Amino acid sequence: MLAKYVARRFFASIVVVLGVTLITLVLMDRTRGTYVPGIDLNPALRPEDIARLRADLGLDRPFYLWYLTWIWGVVHGDFGRSMIDGSTVMSHILDRLPNTLELTGTAIIIGIIVSVPLGVIGALRRGSKTDHSLTVVSVAGFAVPQFWMGLMLILIFSVTLEQHGLPWLPSSGAFSAFAGGDILDRIQHLALPATVLSFFYMSTWSRFIRSSMLEVLSQDYIRTARAKGMSERRVVYLHGLRNALIPLITLIGLELPGLVSGGLVVEVVFGWPGIGKLAFERALQYDYTTVMGVTFFATLLVIAGNLLADLLYGVLDPRIRYG
Amino acid sequence: MIGPSRVAELDMPAAGIETGAARPAQSYWNESWERLRANRIGIAAGLLIVLFALIAIMAPLFSFALTHYQPQTINLDETFIRPGLRHLLGTDELGRDTLTRLIWGARVSLGVAFLTVAMSLSVGTTVGMVAGYYGGWTDDVLMRLVDTVLAIPAIFLFILMSILFRPNAFTLAAIVASVGWGSVARLVRGEVLSVKQRDFILATRSIGARDARLMVRHLLPNVLPVLIVAASLGVGQIILIEAALDFLGLGIQPPTPSWGNMLTNAQSYFFRSGFLVAFPGLTIFVTVLASNIFGNAVRDAFDPRLKS
Repeated sequence: MLAKYVARRFFASIVVVLGVTLITLVLMDRTRGTYVPGIDLNPALRPEDIARLRADLGLDRPFYLWYLTWIWGVVHGDFGRSMIDGSTVMSHILDRLPNTLELTGTAIIIGIIVSVPLGVIGALRRGSKTDHSLTVVSVAGFAVPQFWMGLMLILIFSVTLEQHGLPWLPSSGAFSAFAGGDILDRIQHLALPATVLSFFYMSTWSRFIRSSMLEVLSQDYIRTARAKGMSERRVVYLHGLRNALIPLITLIGLELPGLVSGGLVVEVVFGWPGIGKLAFERALQYDYTTVMGVTFFATLLVIAGNLLADLLYGVLDPRIRYG
Repeated sequence: MIGPSRVAELDMPAAGIETGAARPAQSYWNESWERLRANRIGIAAGLLIVLFALIAIMAPLFSFALTHYQPQTINLDETFIRPGLRHLLGTDELGRDTLTRLIWGARVSLGVAFLTVAMSLSVGTTVGMVAGYYGGWTDDVLMRLVDTVLAIPAIFLFILMSILFRPNAFTLAAIVASVGWGSVARLVRGEVLSVKQRDFILATRSIGARDARLMVRHLLPNVLPVLIVAASLGVGQIILIEAALDFLGLGIQPPTPSWGNMLTNAQSYFFRSGFLVAFPGLTIFVTVLASNIFGNAVRDAFDPRLKS
């Protein structure tokens, strides 16, 4: 049953992956001939040189051939080469990936650590003042533009503190070139962007855990546990929370691709040398192959994350049947 | 079953048999409206959005009568002025009046948001309804397309598309809607799948109604509540997305002011004026907050099943 389900999901995923390549490539095809950075409009090149260089890049090939070449490469782990510096897109991705994972991973961990207790408190004291203020904060959390929150934090914790001669937090980059990037230095650089990013997770997940917890606590087996004289603490944490956290796994699984793409705006605001910033900068420079490679890479993660979340959910909650 | 299903019962062609207590026509809409009206905070938030929209529409009037400045008038003698009587919210690096630019920016930001919602809803509803109604391979193909569109991290798709089509307000809305229609289609398809099993659809078909008529006259009214909820919950998110794209320089291009692109260069003015950073963001925050609160109120009123 499970094997069959996995096989079917896997097959569906492949269809989606192929669809994604087609969409991105059709989009790229609209541009691939139009402007090539460094070659077109370069006064040092004669028209015949331009034609030869464009042919080298495969720009004169018909679309289907170009598409097949690209697919063939991707199957072999080759995402093509950057149109600007000629190094492989994969090397760019691998170069930036650790930074992005450091930022988003920290944010997700902070998000979980803060949102689980907040959600439980909200559920246990439903309708209380604490619950209401948590709701207000989380509703506000949905409405704050991430980039603006980043700007305000920089304004307060970097600019204003520095102006008053107080210790301040760095506002840009993953480490400072002069300090050499020891662990303390990295944490200082991480503080502001990770706060912005985790704030969003906190407002989403604490609400989610609250409602999940409320639902679990209304179940029969909780009443049974209470009826047989189990202490409230054990009921809440052993039986309640453990089951309430199951749906969170799906949510976090769905957030896995966010590990790569979720921080794009934050990375740009904080000059964080991650994958999102890479895609953004390269897009502005018309480096299509890099943008496409990164997009496709991120999409693969989305599909893998969804699949993983689905399967984990079934492992953790045996009531789930794969039909 | 409460909520949308009642529409179905009312929609039944006069069969001559009254099952249970007869309800006056329109009762579902009346009840929803009553529930919405009872939600004071929700109504206040909705009125705030209406107010902002009115201000946006009457931007030239405000320029003329209240602020006395045009959004693109440069005055290099009055750069980085603090908020005061001459410039209520101060001026920017080119001496342009911030309040005036915020008011004109509302035109762009709110206009694009409403346009995006309209586009996502019309495309998504059409696709979802066709997929749900016809089923079979039509459904498979359309839904795999939706899966595909939704699998690509939206922000990358936006970036890719906005370098392709240098956006104006219309193309920007189209770009954001090119992802937004997917979730609407899923939602509508789900509703259609359940509604089309009901007897009244069979009855309508048996008296000779064609597919198009069934979809427009009988299915559409039944998915309307879901659409209303999706629309009112969507506006806030779309304002946020659009502001982020403008901020990144991928959306509305200067000198046309939008709430997002007013912050594009914010980082270079930190040492000159914190107000320049604070005001546009606060405006976005308040607007999105109001949209979300109103959206939640609408959801609770129109679809009590979903009440959290």
